Amino acid sequence: MGTAAGLIATTAFQGLAVHQLSARGVAGLPLLVIEHPLGGERPESVARRAQQAVEQLASLLGPA
Amino acid sequence: MSTALRLIEVDDAPEAVLEAFVAREWCDGLPIVPPTEDRVQAMLGDADPERTLGAMPPLWRMATLEALAVNAVMAGCRPEYFPVIVAAVDAMQDPAFNLYGVQATTHPVAPLVIVHGAYGRRIGLHSGSGCFGPGFRANATIGRALRLILMNVGGAWPGRHDMATQGSPAKFSYCIAENEEASPWGPLRDGDTVTVYGGEGPHNVNDHASTTASGILSTVSHTAATLGSNVGWYFAQSQLLIVLGPEHARTIAADGLTRADVQRFVYEHARLPLATLKLGGMWGMHDWPAWMMALRDDEARPPQVPSPDDVLVVVAGGAGKHSSVVPNTCFSRAVSRSLRAGA
Repeated sequence: MGTAAGLIATTAFQGLAVHQLSARGVAGLPLLVIEHPLGGERPESVARRAQQAVEQLASLLGPA
Repeated sequence: MSTALRLIEVDDAPEAVLEAFVAREWCDGLPIVPPTEDRVQAMLGDADPERTLGAMPPLWRMATLEALAVNAVMAGCRPEYFPVIVAAVDAMQDPAFNLYGVQATTHPVAPLVIVHGAYGRRIGLHSGSGCFGPGFRANATIGRALRLILMNVGGAWPGRHDMATQGSPAKFSYCIAENEEASPWGPLRDGDTVTVYGGEGPHNVNDHASTTASGILSTVSHTAATLGSNVGWYFAQSQLLIVLGPEHARTIAADGLTRADVQRFVYEHARLPLATLKLGGMWGMHDWPAWMMALRDDEARPPQVPSPDDVLVVVAGGAGKHSSVVPNTCFSRAVSRSLRAGA
């Protein structure tokens, strides 16, 4: 099965991320998109982004 | 012309050509020389148009010599400039340069091209007064050709795949020759060579007062150590480029310092105390070796670059008491290529 892999990007970089997945021949790889920006944020906003990532990851992995 | 490139027909008027290229996002916004088949062939000379320097990021399109020649014509280059362009692209494609990072980052980095050796002088590359500025065709058009290649072949369009927050005027054109005749220490690289360095625009070093190496290099070091710089945060690939004006270089050399001494001095002095580094910048997301992460004394002054060898020193410019510091982007290392690797 190999190791599960995906790409995580913020909304501002979603376009670049989609192009990279395509250009690298892995267009089907899961893309997790979280709110921009990532740097310079207070802990509560970072926690919100982490929650966004976890929810998308859970959705992509499907039911246990 | 190869089948990889397509021909378009445009009215034979400068305004129509500019409109056509702007509409297709094929240029930097300035007028271009139409890349007709004859002009592209003249730029290539005997070079093989199908030869490729690899896939260029961020869109990973093939950097064939023909594609490079098209952009060199558009930029206004003469055919004798082409070997410099080929060597510079070959250097940028070296994994150590990390062209994907340089192209796609939010940092205002541009590849600075430094040309060493007699060939640069023969084709008119300028290394004297105002060398970073306008007025010199070889500097202006070689630098512009590389930018057009990065945009048209690499696909780094601002706000789309070039994600620079503000960009930089250095992204229009950024090419100088080393002023080897004015350098007390000879050229940075031997022979006809091109160095590419992923740097910010030049930061001015004004020192009209110092009459000693210590004074001038203290001003250089102070300019090189700022909280807002990228340099130092990602430690392993951080570098500094010091471009000394000839008068500053002469004063430093008159005190007996070699190029290695200058590198060591800047390495030792271009530092900020830990207390200052904690105020902002990239504190908390920095990537330092274990011994630096273990520092606790707020007065400790960790180095900004891994070794004195990561302080590159060249001489360029003309009369006056100015030099410059060019901080790198902290995830790209300078790469040099012989012009023999060119067309």
